[in-house]
This record gives sequence, structure tokens and C-alpha cells, in this order.
Amino acid sequence: MTVVSYEEDLARIERIVAELESDDVELDRALALFEEGVERLRSAAAALERAEGQVRLLVERGDGSFELADSDG
Amino acid sequence: MSVRRERGTGRLAAADSPNELDLFSVLESGDGEADLTSRPRARRKGRSASAPRSESPPPLVDAEPGARPDSAISISTLTRIAKDVVEGAFMPLWVRGEVSDFKAHRNGHWYFCLRDESSQLRCVVWSRDRQRIPAAPDDGMQLSALGQLTVYPARGDIQFRITAMEAAGDGLWRKALELSIARLREEGLLAAERKRQLVAFPRRVAVVTSPDGAALHDILAVVRRRCPVVEIVVVPARVQGEGAVEELVAAIERVSRWGDADTVIVGRGGGAREDLWAFNDERVARALAGCAVPTISAVGHEVDVTLCDMVADLRAPTPSAAAEAAVPVLADLRAQLSSCAAAMKGGLQRRTAFARSQLVRGTRDLRSAAQRTTERRRARLEGAAGRLHALSPLATLARGYAVARDRSGKPLTNAASFTPGLHFQLVLSDGEVPATVDGAVEEQKIPHPPTR
Repeated sequence: MTVVSYEEDLARIERIVAELESDDVELDRALALFEEGVERLRSAAAALERAEGQVRLLVERGDGSFELADSDG
Repeated sequence: MSVRRERGTGRLAAADSPNELDLFSVLESGDGEADLTSRPRARRKGRSASAPRSESPPPLVDAEPGARPDSAISISTLTRIAKDVVEGAFMPLWVRGEVSDFKAHRNGHWYFCLRDESSQLRCVVWSRDRQRIPAAPDDGMQLSALGQLTVYPARGDIQFRITAMEAAGDGLWRKALELSIARLREEGLLAAERKRQLVAFPRRVAVVTSPDGAALHDILAVVRRRCPVVEIVVVPARVQGEGAVEELVAAIERVSRWGDADTVIVGRGGGAREDLWAFNDERVARALAGCAVPTISAVGHEVDVTLCDMVADLRAPTPSAAAEAAVPVLADLRAQLSSCAAAMKGGLQRRTAFARSQLVRGTRDLRSAAQRTTERRRARLEGAAGRLHALSPLATLARGYAVARDRSGKPLTNAASFTPGLHFQLVLSDGEVPATVDGAVEEQKIPHPPTR
């Protein structure tokens, strides 16, 4: 689950809500929107249910790659 | 080259350092070298280390160096001795005065004078000593400068070699800051439209700060309280003192290269103004401006706005406030999602309810349209039936008329058809009566039956 997808999910959900609340949406489209909205809600909610975040230390290796070391912070 | 020295200077220095009076008396011989050589004085406490024997070959007569024309010492020797004497006589000390004639040389050194009402002192700041000085002083600025009094042999000048300086009211720091601000503004790095939106729900927040400072502690506490699912990645850097600027720059650039954080907080807890100064350094500010990750600055306790504050995408007054800005409250996010869910459900329900009502109305319309059609048809049918009835001969019979038919059912419509003895049928509205003609016909006018 990446951040971008949470943000995207939320933004999409808000657009879906707005469209569903408008008067001129076709019924077929309303049903499709609702279905998509439920799917996105599920994925956004999953992002909130992650395990507790750790405190890590950013370590840069000699070759320029990065490593997250455990920290007792 | 003569020692360009005002008469008062040596005495002033000598008076400041009474123990060195003897040494100064050596040099205090007049206005120039002619005096020194022509009117030599005995050196009661000469310095053997700097004795000029190597410079001037020993005279035939064992005269003291500089005591006679044939034992004259070189200018280099004299100025070197003067340098040694002056440097030995004065510890590095702070002096204060007003800056004048400031010149920044191409080679990076600064030259200027410090003066008061009656005296002035030539000063130099070597380029390598400039690193701890925030900005060049301006003419007219009141300065306290730490330096070593010395002699500049090439000119024979008394010179004050400065290694640190402070202007009244943080003047130099302010000046340095203003210059930096002007440069960054010029380059557009302070523009409001450069500010990036922070990620609403970051997965990882990098924190550039001292790993054992109060700032990190505060940030961790806030993140754990608000949104414990967010991962904190500490990128350690000294935040004050020697090397702080370099470490901050390196740490910020590391976060940028890594690129896997959603937000970076750069900051430290409160402290004395000079402790916060690394965050006013242009190099740190530029690193922050160039960071690929959206930045929050959090320096001190909201008194001063630092250069980093001006460059960062968001300025937080304290590290705790930075953490609050960086991460949402998890419960709020959950509430937001459930209200979205409710709104979606409500929207769909309204939409389907509307569709159902449309369907019901459609059905009703259809039914009533069908009914109207049926009724119209029935009415037409009844009208036709009425007209048909009016035209039916049965109706005429009902009014009392009868129709006569012969055996074959052919209507007998004139009197001549009724021959005596003829059997025929009389058709009435409710039945038929067999009949026989009794006699001959009497012709007479019979009126036509009325038509309706």
C-alpha cells in the first residue's frame, strides 16, 4: 500500500460521492460508481490498519544505496 | 622602510602591559631607523632567540647589533623582532571600535581599520578565519573583534589579525541573514508558489535533527499519539556548533537522494540565538529548497523566523507543531472514510429511490393511458350501437307495426300480393302470428310509417 494510492483513493472517493450526490447521474453509472467507491474505500481503510510504524535510522551505504537500520529511539 | 608608528601607540601598549616595558623601550627609540642606528640603546633584556647575529656579521669590535653603523641590523630583522615582541606582549584579546575603510581583497582577505575618537588600528581577517564570521562588517559599524596584535613586516605596520568579531545588536548576523534572504528571494526560492502541498497521510516521515535532542523526542511523542502507523526515519545531524551546517546539508541531501520519505522535518529545539544559527545558513536553506521531499522546518520556540523557515514548504513554530502538521490523527482519517462511505451509500440510495419512483410513475402513466384508450373505444362502440339500434326494423315493430311475409319469408309489401286464402306470417316485435287472407283487397291509401 503506497501513500499515493491512499491519497488517490481518497480523492477518487470524494469525486464519486460528489457525482453520486448530483441529480443527473444515470442509474447504471451510479451503480458502477458505487461499486468502484466501495473497492477504493476498502483499500484506503486497509492503509490505515497497518502495523505500528517503527523508528528507523537512515543509513547510506558506500555504494550510494540506502538502508533503514533499527533505532532504539 | 621605516616603522610607521605613532608615538602614542607604543606607550599605550606598554602601559597596558607594564612587564613588557623594557622590550618596548628597545623599539621606542624615535621616528625611524636612522634614529635607531644612530642612537642605540643598551638592550637590558634582549631576546637571545631573536638576536640578529645571523643577519649582520659580527663586527671587528664586539659592538652590540644595531649599536653602531657597522653593526646596523636589517629592516627584516628589526621588523621580525618587533613582530615577536608585539606578539609575545599581547595575548589574543577583544578590542572594540568603529569600522572604517573596509576592503575585501580579491584573495579573500579583509582589510579595514578599527578606530575610536583619537586612534586607529589596521586590521586584517585572513580568508581562512572568515568562516566563523557571518558577514563582512560595514564601515561605521561598531565592532568587538578578537584578534592578535602583530606587526606586518612587509609594511612595517602594526596590525590586528582578527579571528572573530561581533557587531552591536547581532549586526553581522543580521546582515548575513539579510544578504542571504535577498539572494534567495532574487532566485525565487522564497516564492509562495514554490511551496508544495504536504502529503495528507504520509507513510514515512524523515526527521533531520540531533538524534539525542529534545526535538526528536517531541516529534516521536506527537506521532505516536496521533498516528502510530507512520514510520519515523531519523537522519542524524549536529544542529549547532562546529560542523552543524555541513551535517545538516548532508542529511537533507541524503533524504532527497533516498526519496522514500513522504515528508521531511528539519529542526531542533529552542536555544540561544547563536545555537539556532545553522538554520540561518544559506547552504542549509539551499539544501532544503532543493530537497525532493516536501519540507517542514521546526526551529526553536517560535521566536525567530530562520532562513530555513522561509524556504521550507511549511514553517512550524516548534518540533511538536511540525509533527502535528506532518501526520494526521488516525481516528480522523477513519472517520473521514466512514463519512465518505455513508455519503456514497446515501447518494446511491437516493438515486435508486428516484429511479424506483420514476418506474412507479411510468407504470401508472402507462396504465391510465391504456384505460383512457379503452374508454374511448367503448364510448365509440356504444355510440355506434345506439345508432344501429335506431336504424333496426325491430324498433319499428316495437312501436306497434307488423311485417307480413309469405311462406318463403319474402315481405309482402303491397295489397295486391294478398290474394284471398293466402297463408302468410305476421311478424311482430315479440313473435310471429300465422294468418290467412279472408277476402279481396280494397285498395286505399295507407300512410307511410314515420321514420325516426
